[in-house]
Amino acid sequence: MSLSERFRAAAATRDLLAALPVNPTDIVIDEVVSATEAMIHGRRTIMAGTNNYLGLTFDPQCIEAGQRALAEAGTGTTGSRMANGTYRAHLELEQELAAFFDMPHAMVFSTGYAANLGSLVALLGEGDAVLLDSEAHASLFDGCRMSGADIFRFKHNDPDGLAKRLRRLGERARDALIVVEGLYSIRGDCAPLAEYAAIKAEHGGYLFVDEAHSLGVFGEHGRGLAEAEGVLEQTDFVVGTFSKSLGSIGGFCASRHAELGLFRYASRPYIFTASPCPSVIATTREALRQVTRRPELRTRVWHNAHRLYGALQRLGLQLGPHVSPVVGVSFSERTVALRCWQSLLEDGVYTNLILPPAAPEGGSLIRVSVTAAHDDAQVDAIAAAFEQAVRRHLPGCAA
Amino acid sequence: MKPEHHAIVDDLIALLTKTLDRPQAVSAETALIGDLGLESIQVIEYLCEVEDHFDLAIDEDTLADVNTVGDLAGVVGRLLDR
Repeated sequence: MSLSERFRAAAATRDLLAALPVNPTDIVIDEVVSATEAMIHGRRTIMAGTNNYLGLTFDPQCIEAGQRALAEAGTGTTGSRMANGTYRAHLELEQELAAFFDMPHAMVFSTGYAANLGSLVALLGEGDAVLLDSEAHASLFDGCRMSGADIFRFKHNDPDGLAKRLRRLGERARDALIVVEGLYSIRGDCAPLAEYAAIKAEHGGYLFVDEAHSLGVFGEHGRGLAEAEGVLEQTDFVVGTFSKSLGSIGGFCASRHAELGLFRYASRPYIFTASPCPSVIATTREALRQVTRRPELRTRVWHNAHRLYGALQRLGLQLGPHVSPVVGVSFSERTVALRCWQSLLEDGVYTNLILPPAAPEGGSLIRVSVTAAHDDAQVDAIAAAFEQAVRRHLPGCAA
Repeated sequence: MKPEHHAIVDDLIALLTKTLDRPQAVSAETALIGDLGLESIQVIEYLCEVEDHFDLAIDEDTLADVNTVGDLAGVVGRLLDR
């Protein structure tokens, strides 16, 4: 296949996006003003499409920790964890993560994507069965695919579908891996983890939960949705990322299974990449401490989540089923979603436009997210911009 | 008793018709992706319906060579034989 043939589909996608009045994949942030604002197209813009749920990206203590590590340990490790890339701080973060989840073992990866890929290829191999939610993140699908295991999809957030598939697997169910997320990042809906844990208890298998978007936000201690649902004990593997609530970059896997320690010898995405740089480890450690030390951050982000969800609901918009810091606004017409998204941007509110095939159920969505750093006036400004967008482009709605 | 190939095709078409946003002519030769404009997530949901209807577990690798409704009926038939 020639290069031009190989990239034909990618070129078609690029051309489609380039033809839009504003290309949603081509937004450049010219200046970051704060954890909640940035300069886009020369305009001060409220950022309502990030994953900075606890608003820690400009936290003075996180910044100070990062600066100190940068000065003391340099800009990068220049090597793999298996060679020269394991510093004392990497091990300390792993111990702190294990303590945070009240689990004996934790491992740090260089990105959230690598954490999912690396954990799944270590856990699964040819002949194994993995049951995967149909809307699971691409990194989870890629990890399952890369492992060579037999992949069985079940409908999104459908415990009955999961139970049926485990039953059909018979004896294989005992060692099967059930792979789901906590909070789903597009519509902001939560997995029925308590039901999954009960199904696991009945049929067997291991439960693997990606808490990328729920870490720091859900649960009394901020451990995620499994904690909030009271099933952290029954969760075999918790994976997550540092690039959302913790405001840096990297990923982890925590478990009560001692075999997690053997991932180091079995996970190519862990072995064959450079370890996270010292400043990233330092800011992550400080942010993790703040998750424990400052529960008021959770209180604040939930206050904002309820305020925004309520305001958008009053406008008559079609929202996801659960209140969470992520609100997915669904549109039946792709052009209306696009116009509303553009209207929001012109009114100084950045959100995420999700078009097919990325949107669940083949529809179009605007993803809005709030953080602990937004104040009431900003949340109200986001809602007001939506009201304007609805007036302009969705005249049938309540606004 | 295992259903005949044509009966499996009929069932697959009936399930597919429920999945489609608008009425379209579907036959054994219809390509699941190319002809119907289905998004990948819709194909996954359709396959979940197929699994439930025939009480089967179909892994994704098995579907690598499936292009048309008829191909899928072949896979279903083979799995029902096991």
